[in-house]
Amino acid sequence: MKRAILSCNGLDKPEGSVAREVAIRTAEAIESEIICPVLLNRAPARYKKILSGSSLIVVDGCSTRCATKLATGLGAKVERKVMVSDSVKASGKPLESTLRLQPDGLTLAQSIVDELVHNLNAPAAAPEPVAEFEAPTEYLFVTHDKFEFRIPVVDYAFNENDVWARVLDGVARVGISDYMQQKLTDISYFDPPKVETAVDQFGELGSVESAKAVFEIVSPVSGTVVGVNPAVIENPGLINEDPYGSGWLVEIKVTDFAQDQALLLDGAAYADVVKRKAAEE
Amino acid sequence: MTNEGIGNPVLVIPCSGIGKVHGLISREATYLVTDELAPGKADTLCLALLVKGDPDAVAEVRNHACITLDGCAKACAEKNVQMAGGRVAKAIQVATCFKNHRGAQPGNASALTDDGWTITREIAASAACDVARLFAGEEVIR
Repeated sequence: MKRAILSCNGLDKPEGSVAREVAIRTAEAIESEIICPVLLNRAPARYKKILSGSSLIVVDGCSTRCATKLATGLGAKVERKVMVSDSVKASGKPLESTLRLQPDGLTLAQSIVDELVHNLNAPAAAPEPVAEFEAPTEYLFVTHDKFEFRIPVVDYAFNENDVWARVLDGVARVGISDYMQQKLTDISYFDPPKVETAVDQFGELGSVESAKAVFEIVSPVSGTVVGVNPAVIENPGLINEDPYGSGWLVEIKVTDFAQDQALLLDGAAYADVVKRKAAEE
Repeated sequence: MTNEGIGNPVLVIPCSGIGKVHGLISREATYLVTDELAPGKADTLCLALLVKGDPDAVAEVRNHACITLDGCAKACAEKNVQMAGGRVAKAIQVATCFKNHRGAQPGNASALTDDGWTITREIAASAACDVARLFAGEEVIR
């Protein structure tokens, strides 16, 4: 499949200037077309053919995520995402506060492009799931207004951050709850953690993203990431369709689930949390 | 009630223009106006915020006189400012400015040549004059 690059406009922040430069350099490196975000918004038909036949590399400068929102709103297929502000943080060196690119910005832009192109050329094979899980069969139902939220009756443990874990043979499969997927609405992107990453209970475990929000996944267990769901990376909509089954996100080899469990909720207790949260909205 | 008029900054808004040299010219001309030629009198605004309906951006264009700087005849900046309810006091198109520079080689989407900078400075100087007039509460010829 062809690739196209959608960058934010990036006019009024140094990170935006870097985003634009990343888009231009990436387009040159992989010989892809750049999609102008403003023209796309004003005349989407202009890019209809490109969008239908390409996967997008989306480049945002800041957390306003204009390019991402645009891609999500059009239902475009997003293959990779770049958030320049995250790269700035990771570099530990704030950009000079000028809108014209300075040497530090150019260096950062090139390093982002190098990593991006490298990953595109040699995508890391998503590890296969390591455990055999069966989908839940019995649910509790929490209703609020016109909404109905499902919660598996047994085998699933939840944290109050709306993330579940189901453990089998020392491996926890992790995903987000039905309540959270409905709250986010159409999920367009899953940013997974790296395999072999050690994670603490309540530590970061990547994020999922919809047009409404970015949801940081808070790990319900401690351990080491041993797998990510390739089907969800390919089709993030699975999280909406089947949050407790095929829409699972990662698998973690747990360190001490008995200890983690002391701070987790069973289905019934989590149902109370959902009732409270829904009532507060 | 708007902030247009004497002593109020003018918004200079370039198109996104990403991936094209005309877009780069509109962007660089904007920076020349806001940073060098009319600091304090001119400010800019990211067009993507406006097209995504950011309330602050919409309020900005409604409350300040705007000069739009478009790379091409699609006039994305001009049209989006108008659609947001802003008043375009002056609409400039980079492509039109090339009429006085036939055969010029302005560069590419990443970098301007000397030709490109010449045109950019010319556009910026013209826009800065308009900024000064609007800042002084005068009208400009569209």
